[in-house]
Amino acid sequence: MDTDLAERSETAKRPRGSGGATRMRQAAMRQRFLAVLVLFVAIFIYFSLTQSRFFTSADLDALMTSAAVLWMVAIGLTFVMLTGGFDLSLGSLLALCGIALGKLMAGSGVPFAYAIAITLAFGLAVGAVGNGFLIGKLGLPFLVVTLGTLTLYGGLVDLWSKSYTTQLLSPALTALAFNHAAGLPIPAWIMLGVFLAALYLQRSTYFGRDVYAVGGSADAARLSGVRVGRTLLAVYALAGLLAALAGVIQDARIGAASPLVGAQVIFGAAAAVLLGGTSFAGGIGGVGGTAIGVAFLATLQQGLSISGVQDYWQQIITGVILIVVVLLDRIQHGGLESIGLGRLRVRRAPAESPPVVTDGS
Amino acid sequence: MSEVLVQASGVHKSYGGVRALRGVDFELYAGEIHALVGENGSGKSTLLRILSGQLAPDAGTVALGGEPVRFGDAAAAMQAGIATVTQETTLVPHLSVAENIFLGPRKPRHWYGIDWRSTRARAKEMIERLQLAIDPDDRVEALRPDQQQMVEIARALSMEARVLILDEPTSALTDDEVAALFAAVRTLRQHNVAVAFVSHRMNEVFDLVDRVTVLRDGSRVGTGPISEFTRDSLVSLMIGRELGTLELSEHGQVSRNPVLRVRALNVPGRVHDVDLEVEKGEIVGIAGLVGAGRSSLLEALFGAVPRATGSVEIDGRPALSRDTRTAMRHGLGYVPAERKTLGLVQDMTLRENLLMAEGSRTWRLRRPSRARENKVVADAIARLGIVTDSMDSPVARLSGGNQQKVVLAKWLAIQPKVLLLDEPTRGVDVGSKAEIYKLLDQIKEGGVGILVSSSETPELRLLCDRILVMYRGRIVASLSREEATEARIAQYAIGHHEARNGH
Repeated sequence: MDTDLAERSETAKRPRGSGGATRMRQAAMRQRFLAVLVLFVAIFIYFSLTQSRFFTSADLDALMTSAAVLWMVAIGLTFVMLTGGFDLSLGSLLALCGIALGKLMAGSGVPFAYAIAITLAFGLAVGAVGNGFLIGKLGLPFLVVTLGTLTLYGGLVDLWSKSYTTQLLSPALTALAFNHAAGLPIPAWIMLGVFLAALYLQRSTYFGRDVYAVGGSADAARLSGVRVGRTLLAVYALAGLLAALAGVIQDARIGAASPLVGAQVIFGAAAAVLLGGTSFAGGIGGVGGTAIGVAFLATLQQGLSISGVQDYWQQIITGVILIVVVLLDRIQHGGLESIGLGRLRVRRAPAESPPVVTDGS
Repeated sequence: MSEVLVQASGVHKSYGGVRALRGVDFELYAGEIHALVGENGSGKSTLLRILSGQLAPDAGTVALGGEPVRFGDAAAAMQAGIATVTQETTLVPHLSVAENIFLGPRKPRHWYGIDWRSTRARAKEMIERLQLAIDPDDRVEALRPDQQQMVEIARALSMEARVLILDEPTSALTDDEVAALFAAVRTLRQHNVAVAFVSHRMNEVFDLVDRVTVLRDGSRVGTGPISEFTRDSLVSLMIGRELGTLELSEHGQVSRNPVLRVRALNVPGRVHDVDLEVEKGEIVGIAGLVGAGRSSLLEALFGAVPRATGSVEIDGRPALSRDTRTAMRHGLGYVPAERKTLGLVQDMTLRENLLMAEGSRTWRLRRPSRARENKVVADAIARLGIVTDSMDSPVARLSGGNQQKVVLAKWLAIQPKVLLLDEPTRGVDVGSKAEIYKLLDQIKEGGVGILVSSSETPELRLLCDRILVMYRGRIVASLSREEATEARIAQYAIGHHEARNGH
């Protein structure tokens, strides 16, 4: 848990004076983060005890490798959501980058390391130009822009791959997904590296502060000299870069560049970010919570798979948990009234006008 | 005169310990336009809110058509035929005029749904009754502000309102728009509607109304047909003392070495041909009514309004800014009036807010030096006397006064040459106010030029070396500390000089 959360716990204990709504929101985010942490530990223990296979190293490896794709996209999305935005296109950008890597490796004789580097640069550039420029510099609404690029990249994926999956028989690529270093699979190390870098960016740089300031109040940030447009451009570029990394890991995992993967990832990523306590409204949350959110979702899915639960039940359970967690902390902090059920019990009191003594101002 | 439609008798209202109304009587006749005038804080708004059902009086009665009434809320008052139109419109911008007039469940219906044809026809009828040049199918957002207000009036008319309350409807309007609004109001008078009208502008009062009631400090100090009053007598009643003679040569003191020099600054529709200077180590105040252009002037100087034109110089160098970062580079700092939404980011800590401007020119991937920052923040907390348990406290947890000190500290951290302040003590308790005044005095002693806008005249008189008065986007007077009596500032702010000038 980072210091921000520690502060917010203090905040929660002292609800008084003005700004109560904000503090309630911060406290709610923290509450959700903790609830998901407890859930994560609970299901981890549950599956360890009930499923003998769960705690074997092969399954833990598989858990981490399958979580890696979601992890990258969710961390990129966290920065976007901290600014108060969203990026629907990350899933299809992931697929597009996967296809790009496939083209680089299958057709031309580009060395492996260069192919990876070019793919990552491609994701960064597409994120910066496709979403970042339009949203940050031209000020277009993020939902419209990313819905557009979602569709656009999806079309490019099919155009480019001709809807075929290309097998990638590269030992280096396979090693990326399945080799171990110091006892952990390579993807786990990549996850750790990305997480630490993101945490550093979030907590210890001017950029991180800009992200929170823009999400907290873009107008106040602008009036304090924060380059709001540039900050937005940067978060969408960063999300693009991480989507590309997710695409590389995806290719390595399945040993192929497939046009069929990726599209659903964005929904899992959004669920993980929200479970981790980052607000849709921006300005609150962080990658620490997202990590817990991803770990929870991945463990849940892995555990349910091992238990032989059907895929569609996994989806239903995940959906219900997401809604219940959000609903519970809303009720806890705002009472039944806050979700519109108050009227069932008491009729709404007539709105009392705030006392205003001076005229005209 | 016809019958008394609205009768308020002995109305009292207090907020906490503050007595806003002390036994006010007020009569409104059908078919009259009645002005309610008084200085800020005289109780006008409180009285109107009681008449329109938004507030309940502590004592006293309100009768409508002879029947005592007590409304639970504004909707009930509306039902009874009392409609209110304020400067803030309650229209839905994306919908058509007809839809707005019959907003909600009031649209005529077929058995299968909304009867759009008769909705439109009835809207047209209302528009024609007010003799407006708008189409029921126009979208409200495409209309001018005055036309939007007319749509609200049309809505009130469609509800068969017998009483219309207009609370400063003209403050955002241009002269032509005011004329159009008045024509519509006169039409209402012909339909026997009673109109209560609040304005700070004397010309408008004398142009439009039949009778006038003057409030001062929560009491009625005068009422009667407008023909019984002169401008001077009305203003004297409002401010409670006789006026001195008015000199008009108070404009244009030429400074020798101003740190801020502004010539012919214009913001379309808001600020017109503003010239001003601020010396090093001088506090210059801007007085004026709400909507006079004070905030727009400061925003324009800080580059927060993109369409400003004119000449701005700081230390003799051109400094007209198109964006806030340019303004900051020129040495400007800006404390906006909306502290909670624009001055601070409420979700962030004191430290983060205080350092937001200071770090704005640094390479973004750099790690801020914790030691240096601690020193900057600790110095600011000590110097400004910010009361907090930690420099990492959420800024939302601080009191209003301490929050405002954080905003000030944010700008002091970039060592500005000129500080622009908009309502620096709004929402700040009395003790912190005094501290902020003392701080501004210290900052000024340090050679910073300060331009401060405030709607509280006593504050300006206390703080400022010189006070400029704005009226409808222009600076109409520049008063020295000795000249700037409250009465004189009020006269300029309400446009009293226009009458004298023969405008």
